[in-house]
Amino acid sequence: MKIAVCIKRVPDSETRVKIASDGKSLDEAGVKFILNPYDEFAVEEGLRLKEKAGTGEVVVIALGPAAAQETIRTALAMGADRGVLLQTQGLHPDGLETAKALAAELKGAGFDVILLGKMAIDDYNHQVGPMVAELLDLPCVTTVTHLEIVGGKGTAEREIEGGVEVVAFPLPAVLTTDKGLNEPRYPALKGIMAAKKKPLEVKPTAPGPGALEILSLTLPPERQAGKIVGEGPAAVAELVRLLREEAKVL
Amino acid sequence: MILPAAYQPPLPLDRLLLPVGAPGAGDRMELDVLIVGAGPAGLACAIELARLAQRERSDLNIGVLEKAGALGEHSLSGAVVNPRAFHELFPDLKDPDFPFRGPVERERVALLTSRRAVTLPTPPTMHNAGNYVASVCEIVRWLGERAAALGVNVFTGFPAASLLVREGRVAGVRTAATGLDRGGQPLSNYMAPNDLIAKVTALAEGTRGSLSQAWLERQAVTCENPQIFALGVKEIWETRRSLDTIVHTLGWPVPTDAFGGSFMYPLEPNLVALGLVVGLDYRDAALDVHALLQRMKLHPLFRQYLEGGEMVEWGAKTIPEGGYYAVPARRSGDGVVILGDAAGFVDVPSLKGIHYAMQSGMFAARAIHAGLTAGDTSGARLAEYDRLVNASFIMKDLYRTRNMRLAFKDGFYAGGVKAALMTLTGGRFPGGKIAVEPDASVERRLTPGVRPVSVFTPDGKLTFSKVDGVFKSGNATRDTIPIHLVVGKEVPPAVAEFYAGMCPAGVYELAQGTLRVNAPNCVDCKATDVLGPRWTPREGGSGPKYKRM
Repeated sequence: MKIAVCIKRVPDSETRVKIASDGKSLDEAGVKFILNPYDEFAVEEGLRLKEKAGTGEVVVIALGPAAAQETIRTALAMGADRGVLLQTQGLHPDGLETAKALAAELKGAGFDVILLGKMAIDDYNHQVGPMVAELLDLPCVTTVTHLEIVGGKGTAEREIEGGVEVVAFPLPAVLTTDKGLNEPRYPALKGIMAAKKKPLEVKPTAPGPGALEILSLTLPPERQAGKIVGEGPAAVAELVRLLREEAKVL
Repeated sequence: MILPAAYQPPLPLDRLLLPVGAPGAGDRMELDVLIVGAGPAGLACAIELARLAQRERSDLNIGVLEKAGALGEHSLSGAVVNPRAFHELFPDLKDPDFPFRGPVERERVALLTSRRAVTLPTPPTMHNAGNYVASVCEIVRWLGERAAALGVNVFTGFPAASLLVREGRVAGVRTAATGLDRGGQPLSNYMAPNDLIAKVTALAEGTRGSLSQAWLERQAVTCENPQIFALGVKEIWETRRSLDTIVHTLGWPVPTDAFGGSFMYPLEPNLVALGLVVGLDYRDAALDVHALLQRMKLHPLFRQYLEGGEMVEWGAKTIPEGGYYAVPARRSGDGVVILGDAAGFVDVPSLKGIHYAMQSGMFAARAIHAGLTAGDTSGARLAEYDRLVNASFIMKDLYRTRNMRLAFKDGFYAGGVKAALMTLTGGRFPGGKIAVEPDASVERRLTPGVRPVSVFTPDGKLTFSKVDGVFKSGNATRDTIPIHLVVGKEVPPAVAEFYAGMCPAGVYELAQGTLRVNAPNCVDCKATDVLGPRWTPREGGSGPKYKRM
C-alpha cells in the first residue's frame, strides 16, 4: 500500500507566543517547533496501514521553511520511509495555495491513501485536507477516529454531535485524522539512527500569493484575577449581591 | 532533631547497575563512545571526539543520551561564564560568536539585612571582568547543534536508567522504559528499554548523577571528603526597569547558620535572571529555599526591578559544592569516565562550573580517543583523563579555594572571617583540610530558633507558590507515570514536613499524618536524593522544559 502523509511544522503548544513587531506574525525567537499533533495521528495511522498490509511505502510531505526538515526527520524516526520538503520562504497563510502545492506533488504518484491531520494547531483552519481532495478529485473523509481498510475499500468512523457516523469510501482517498484515532508511537533509538539515512528530497516551491491576507494578530485578553468574597454562611449574601450587581448573571 | 540519613533508603544499586544481557531490553545498539547527558560536559566531549576522529579520518560512532525531551530543557545555571573552555574548543571563533547574552560590565556584591543592602568590596574570587552572562539552556542548544553537525547522534528524551557492567567493566547503559502506567504496567505506546553498548561510556549526568554515584559506590572509589550540595531556586523575569549590573548578595534572608546567597543577572536590559542558593547542610528542618527566594524578592534591592514585571520561568537545581576534597580519587575506570558536575568540578567561591565541565569533557575526549586508537580502553589507559584534569587549571583552581566553602559549616560569620583569611593566604590558611559530613548526616533542628516564623502567602504577582513555580518550569509530566522516587519505609510526620520544605517543587506533602508523594511535580533538581527519598531516572521527556535558564 502506498501512503502519503502531509505534515506541518508548528509552534509547540507549550510555547508562550509573542506577536512580532509587524503585528501580524509570530515572533519566532526562542519558539520551539514540533510536528503538528494532529499530523502525528496521521503518521501513526499511515505506519499502521503499511504494517497491516505487510508491504508498501509511507511518504511524508511538508510545505514550509528549511527548518521543517527536522519535522520530517521526526516522522522518519517514527518509521516513515522517505520525506519530501516543498521548501518555501517562511510559512504560507493561504490554505488553498498550500493545498495546490501539496496536490501538485501528490498528483499521479499513485498513492492509495493520503492522510493529513484534521487541522494545524497554529492556524486552526481545517482547510487543507478537503482542498487537496477536491484538487485531486478524490473522495474525502474528515476527522476520522477509526479506520479499516480492506481490499481497496475503506470504512471510517467520525465523531459527530452526540454520536458516531460510519462512512464507506473507495480508494484512493484523502483522510483527515482526529484525536482518538490512535496513540502515536515515540520514535525509537533505532528509528532515530535510521532516520538520518533515509531519503529526504528538498524541492524549492513558490506558492502563489493567494487571496487571504492576515491583517492582525492579537493575544486573548488577560484573565481577570478571581475574588474571594469571604468565608462561611456570612459570605453568601455578599456573593449573591456581586453575582447580581457586578457580574449580572442572576 | 532529625537525622535525615536515618530515613534515607540506600542507593538502589540493583536497579542502577545491571549485568550485560539482563532480561527486559528491546533494541540493542552498538556505539564506539556513549555519552550520558547532553550538558556542557557531555557535548564538549562529543564535539572534541568527533573532531579528533575527523582529523584522523577515522569513523567514530558517538552517541549522546539526554533525558530531557529537547536539548537544554533540563539545564539550569546562573550563569556567569568564563569563556576559556569555549576558546579552547572553538579556536576559530571569537567571544561574540558564542551563545552568550552579554559581557559583565558592572558588578556588585551586597550584604543584605531585611531592609537594607550594604555594598561590600568584591572578593577576589568573585571578580567577573572578561566573563559573560549566559543562559546554560542556550549554551546547550548551541553546543548540541555543533555536535550534530559533526555527525554526533544526540538522542533527546532517552534517560540512562542503568549502567551495564560486565566483570567490573562498564559496557554501556540501559535506557528507561517509556509508556508505563502508575502500577508499572505497559500502556499501548509502551517502548521497552534499549541497551546501548559502547567501548567507552562517559558519564556526564550533571549534579548528583545516579549512575555515577552507583559506579563510584560499587568500585569503592574514595574521596577525602563526602560531596556536599546546595539547592538553587531560580526565576526569570521580564522587568519594566532595566538592570545593568550583575548582583550577588549574602546575608538575609538566609539564616546565619546556613550557607547561601543570591544572584541577579541581566540577560537583556529588561530580562532578569535571579535566584537563591542555600547549602543543604542547613540546620533548621523547616527551611524552604523556594519560600526564602519568594521572601527575598520583597527586599527593595530586588523589588525595585521586579515590581510590575512578570515571572516567565522558574526552576531549581542542586550544585555540588564540596570542591577539591570532594572530587573522587579517580574519575575513570574500565570503559568509563565521569565528567563535569557528576565528578564535582565546581568552584563555589567563584560560582563557576560550566567551563570546568566543558574542559573536563575535552580532556576525556582526548583520553578516550588515545585509548580507542591504541585499542585499549581499560581503566589504566583512561586514567590519562584523570592525569589531564589533575594537571590542569580545573584542579588548580579548586585547590586554591579548597577549604573556603567548608569553612561555612559552622555558620556565616565564622565562615566569612575564615574565608577572608584563606583569600589573603592564597588558600594556605588554616592548613590541612576541613572535614565535613555528608549533608544527610547533619542533624536538623525542629524548633525555629533564630529564624522568625511567618506564614508565607504568595500574592501571585511578586511571589509564587511551588505549584505556580512548577507550572512555570514547563513541567507537563503525565500524571500517570510510575513514581520514580524511592521513599524510606517509615517516614514520621516531622520528617515528611522536612521533605516538604526541602523540595522546591512541592513533590512532598504531609497529608493526614502521612507522606504524600506528587512525583510528576519533580523537576529533577536532585535535592531529594541528597537528603531524602532517592531519585531514579524516569520516562524520557518528563520533568521541566527550561528555555532560558
